[in-house]
Amino acid sequence: MAEHGTHDMHEQHEHEHMTIPKYLLIFGILFIGTIVTYLVALTDLEWIFPGANTLVALAIAFFKMTCVMLFFMHVYWSPKLVKLSAIASFFWLAIMFAYTMQDYLTRGTGVFGQ
Amino acid sequence: MATHVGEHNDHGHAHAPGLQHQFEDMKQQEESVSIGMWMFLVQEIMFFGGLFTAYLVFRSKYPMAFAVGSNHLDAFWGGLNTLVLIVSSLTMALTVYYAQKGNRNMQVILILLTMFFGAVFLGVKAIEYTDKWNHGTVPITGLNKVVREGHGDSHASKPIEFSIGPKAYAAEAAGGEEHAYVNPRGEFQWNDYDLIEKKVAEQKADPNAYILTTDEKNGYFSYGELDRDKFRDKVRIFYWIYFVMTGLHALHMVVGLGLMTWLGWMAFRNTYSAEYYMPVEMSGLYWHFVDIVWIFLFPLLYLLGRHFIAGGH
Repeated sequence: MAEHGTHDMHEQHEHEHMTIPKYLLIFGILFIGTIVTYLVALTDLEWIFPGANTLVALAIAFFKMTCVMLFFMHVYWSPKLVKLSAIASFFWLAIMFAYTMQDYLTRGTGVFGQ
Repeated sequence: MATHVGEHNDHGHAHAPGLQHQFEDMKQQEESVSIGMWMFLVQEIMFFGGLFTAYLVFRSKYPMAFAVGSNHLDAFWGGLNTLVLIVSSLTMALTVYYAQKGNRNMQVILILLTMFFGAVFLGVKAIEYTDKWNHGTVPITGLNKVVREGHGDSHASKPIEFSIGPKAYAAEAAGGEEHAYVNPRGEFQWNDYDLIEKKVAEQKADPNAYILTTDEKNGYFSYGELDRDKFRDKVRIFYWIYFVMTGLHALHMVVGLGLMTWLGWMAFRNTYSAEYYMPVEMSGLYWHFVDIVWIFLFPLLYLLGRHFIAGGH
């Protein structure tokens, strides 16, 4: 009984980390991130290096995803196993991308290439 | 409590209405539920990951075809949908917040708002798909609007050769005075070769510059000249990926709306409280996941080639 009570208290306390102003702050960040994504896409960044536009767009997308996962999905206050699952999924994704591309990018078009 | 020592010694049972008998207490149940949900989300990430891999492979082979194809998606609608989904994510997060407070009315209102924004998203998607259907850019033969000569709208009086000519989109963008688009066979139609012709000219002017990839040099050309049919096939790959990825995402939205309907009804019946709110939290995880997928789809599908034409091309 007492034990159960403390768990409840613990839970209550745990979820007080996110308040309405904090939710709105995260929302604002996501909103601005979307606008910035759009504006950056209209700016030619090829002079830095080819593909710079895509890199910036993906960097913003990763940042937005991190905000959503940590605060909207409460990963920040989740058990370590949940954090591990979230990170591991991207690790597996990275393996899939890496092994696929190490095949495709190294296929020649002939003995001496093009 | 002490009298109940035995098979059903679940000491929270009488106090926590949501506690299943196999769990010791709510804390353990919540952790189990949330790890189960995360395992589901991890496989969803792999599920979409296969499509992102396909995107990665074909974009790395034919970046210009992807850029040209992407430029004909409507970035306004795509961006609006991104914002709509972010707002719906906020309302979903606040639903969880109020479920933890046990506030029934705010839960129901916020779930209804979440559903409203989800429906707006699907509506915008329907507008976009209709536009693609009208313009003949659905990559499946026979799944586009069929325009017969002398029938239908003003496009139809134009001769058939316009349908595979180069200027339809350009004319439309210029103000639509010459409404050249005709799609007589309902096939995948593509009429915009301006950007690729420019890039081909740049490549020919400087053969050693890295403008086209090796795959593009092999894949777009016949006898050393740009082959429009070959280029169109590569754009078609982009549209396949666009429709499959956004279609699968839209399917997830439909499932999410179903989930929200159930959740809203349960919230209306005052099911959730500070002790028991995991169904709300878990539905929220699903909804946020679908939002995250779109956060990546938006720049990767809609915005990838804008910078090529932004400078007044």
